[in-house]
Amino acid sequence: VILELLHYAVKQAESLGASDVEAYAATSSESEAFMENNDLKQAKSQRVGAIGIRVLLGGSLGFYSINDLTKSRIREATAMAIKIARASPRDRHNALPGKSKGKALRGIYDKNAELFQTSDAAKMAAEMLEAAKSYDNRISVDSGNFNAEIATHALANSNGMELKERASVFSWSIMGMAVENGDISSFDYQLGGSHFVKDIDVFSTATEFAETVVNSLGTRKIEQSFKGEMLLTPMAANEMIVEVIAHAINSDAVQKKSSHFAGKIGKQVASELLTVEDDATNVQGLSASSFDREGVPHRRNIVIEKGMLKKFLYNTYTARKDGVMSTGNASGSTSSPPLVSTTNFLIKPGRSNVDKLVSEIRQGIIISRFSGNVDPVNGDFSGVVKGGRFVRNGTIQYAVKEVMVAGNIFKALSRLNGISKERKVIYDSMLPYMRFDGMSFTAG
Amino acid sequence: MHTDIYVADSLRSMISSSKSATYIEGRYQSRVTSEVNFINGELERIRVVETSGCGIRVLVDGCWGFSSTSNVSDAALKESLHEATSAAHVLSQSKKTKVKGLAQSKMVTGSFKTAQNSYNNLLDIEIDQKVQVAREGEKAARSNREVKTASCVYRDMVDHKVIVNSDGANVEIYDSKPEFNITAIAKKGGQSATAHEGVCVTGGWDDLFKKRSHLECAIAASERVAKLLDARHVSGKKATVILDPAMVGLLSHEAIGHTVEADFVLSGSVVKDKIGSKVASDLVTLVDSGRSEIASNAGGTIIVDDEGVVAGRTAIIEKGILKSFLHNRESAMIFGTASTGSARAFQYSDEPLIRMRNTYIEPGPDKLTDMIKETKYGYIIKGARNGQADANGEFMFGAEEVFLIEKGEVTELLRGASISGNAFEVLQSIDMVGNEFQYDMGTGYCGKYQPAKVDGGGPYIRCTAVIGGLQQ
Repeated sequence: VILELLHYAVKQAESLGASDVEAYAATSSESEAFMENNDLKQAKSQRVGAIGIRVLLGGSLGFYSINDLTKSRIREATAMAIKIARASPRDRHNALPGKSKGKALRGIYDKNAELFQTSDAAKMAAEMLEAAKSYDNRISVDSGNFNAEIATHALANSNGMELKERASVFSWSIMGMAVENGDISSFDYQLGGSHFVKDIDVFSTATEFAETVVNSLGTRKIEQSFKGEMLLTPMAANEMIVEVIAHAINSDAVQKKSSHFAGKIGKQVASELLTVEDDATNVQGLSASSFDREGVPHRRNIVIEKGMLKKFLYNTYTARKDGVMSTGNASGSTSSPPLVSTTNFLIKPGRSNVDKLVSEIRQGIIISRFSGNVDPVNGDFSGVVKGGRFVRNGTIQYAVKEVMVAGNIFKALSRLNGISKERKVIYDSMLPYMRFDGMSFTAG
Repeated sequence: MHTDIYVADSLRSMISSSKSATYIEGRYQSRVTSEVNFINGELERIRVVETSGCGIRVLVDGCWGFSSTSNVSDAALKESLHEATSAAHVLSQSKKTKVKGLAQSKMVTGSFKTAQNSYNNLLDIEIDQKVQVAREGEKAARSNREVKTASCVYRDMVDHKVIVNSDGANVEIYDSKPEFNITAIAKKGGQSATAHEGVCVTGGWDDLFKKRSHLECAIAASERVAKLLDARHVSGKKATVILDPAMVGLLSHEAIGHTVEADFVLSGSVVKDKIGSKVASDLVTLVDSGRSEIASNAGGTIIVDDEGVVAGRTAIIEKGILKSFLHNRESAMIFGTASTGSARAFQYSDEPLIRMRNTYIEPGPDKLTDMIKETKYGYIIKGARNGQADANGEFMFGAEEVFLIEKGEVTELLRGASISGNAFEVLQSIDMVGNEFQYDMGTGYCGKYQPAKVDGGGPYIRCTAVIGGLQQ
């Protein structure tokens, strides 16, 4: 039914004089339960369906979106999109991709998700809360949620493309601290996710959260500022590293001259230990799907290989500007024309296990979370270490407080000297533990 | 916008058909958002987005359930009510502390416009005109040759809401909020500077450009950023500072307003036990209102909140004494007081939360010229940028430009800097309050699980704060 509506939108726009048309629809049904203050707070369910219509009129772009999938409203929206295109300036890079052969991705839809109800979401949230509280009675859960979603996206365009795909996504989070006689630990939050009901594991997430906050009780100030090693957990790497690399490899940022990697294809931009992939076909990541926001098949893109910059990520528009092919990174929802972004962001695991990485540290700090600012344009970061632990001669000494860490992510990437073989899925990132040397820590 | 006429009836009959809930609320909202964005002479983005649907919230067995649907047929609403009710039932099996009830409030009935004659006006403005102001604005922002990058965004939100609940609310609201933003970045040698100019109002097209035209706004940004490029940096110190209305608004919202939201108070905010205590200088009366008090077209104007309660003037601090927190009906019940009409939802699919509206300090007796004249050594801080504030009132805000005052005269423009301190200490230190009032914070969104359009402002005020640090 949905493809028929999209087809209708395309034909309508063509009959009104559009040279190119794309109709993109997304529908979902969602159940969610929230926690707050060590208790359940609210349960929620929603059903949405929306369509975004992009038309080109000799290079001029028009876009109109509605969350109503009836033919009469689609007809009106199409006419409005044409009207907008008539008011827009021409841009010769505006174009839609042609039909291409992609493979349907397996492993992102679980039929059992259809039976999953709001009551199950509430049950999962309650289990996660219970698991955290029973780990240790000093745990205080500030907030969290459990979300279950079945999402369909579909696309048709005037080049004959007709695509449709369904995915199920379960995701959950927990946030809070540990409290003991007036001593309050750093905040921590953990996330988990899966495509399949059988892979839902709120227990591990709750336990990791609980372990981290309990470990950051009884903090001490470090005796003095020092230069040493920084070991980031996957969560901290997600906060400090991912956004900076994702911005630098984005063709839109390159074209707007805000990417640090501009002009560096083929150059060494990081330590040889670093290999970065963007891969929406990896079904472990929750952004997995077989085609992008404009229907281009998803693929595995090796962006940085052994420290060398291999390519930028493109959608059709930015690709035309640079005279290359789209990498399948058109992104966005039905409420906006396509943007460019990463899909599943993967850092290749290393050979050592985490314990070995710790045991090799002469002097340094393990960081579980980072609270501060990271500038994705120039890579500068500064902030406070959260859930940090001080390591000397390969042994964890104590939990730290009020330690500042500052530096530059791009410089740090060339000082990457260890990557764990353990890797964690954080929604759409898959990240190992990462160790850097020569980092400046300042005592508070 | 085709189902609008019938949806109030549908919601009313849905509510009256149900017997099992303590409270039922049905909110219909339809929104049209338009956006045009130019960067460096090119169209970056253009779109119009329509969303509409109903959010149904129920209180059953002391638990909240919420469900939303974009389909507003009677059958879909009934299904949604059923889902919200069963969600609440499910929760009641594991939730430990039940909601005790909702405070008595006078429920509003009737039809309202958040600003006069504005609703239809904005929908009548053709997309061509929106493209034109964004394109011309961006170009004018590059009129100074030091400007290397410029952008201009025109955006508007036009809402039609219907709020019906089982306690008797029956409200229709027409709202319209256009905004216009300019960013200019200048570069010379290794130096760079950024300037922003923007305006957001509750009102129509003419209200948006009532104070200045789009070109005046753009040229102001272009000229200022070129001047800032040559300005010196300020050196860090505790000093006498005169804050402009935008900075007063930011301080009132971020550093004070959030600490008095009753849900934050319940989780242990710094002002928890301070009602009736002196928390600011006698000169300070700090207000949050859902109406546009004192000046017109404030960006956070709502008139009635999403629980159907009048969103009037709430004096948070009156002549230095902390008087009130911000409440929805649930928190008002816990505190044994009345709702302040602060329950707001961003979209039909969001549940109402305690939010601010227009937050400001009331004007006083002093002329700005006298405030400067009576300052031996100090700074005027202008152009609020984003910042951070903690639950204890500690804050750090960026300012775009700083003027040095020496012996009662403005002597030099300095580069942007940050100001920091404890908000309550800063309020205690206020010794002069200006007599000219302005809202100047409307272009931002406040984020708390969901966005909200808020505004803030005040007169110029003189106080003591720490100035320093570099700001781009």
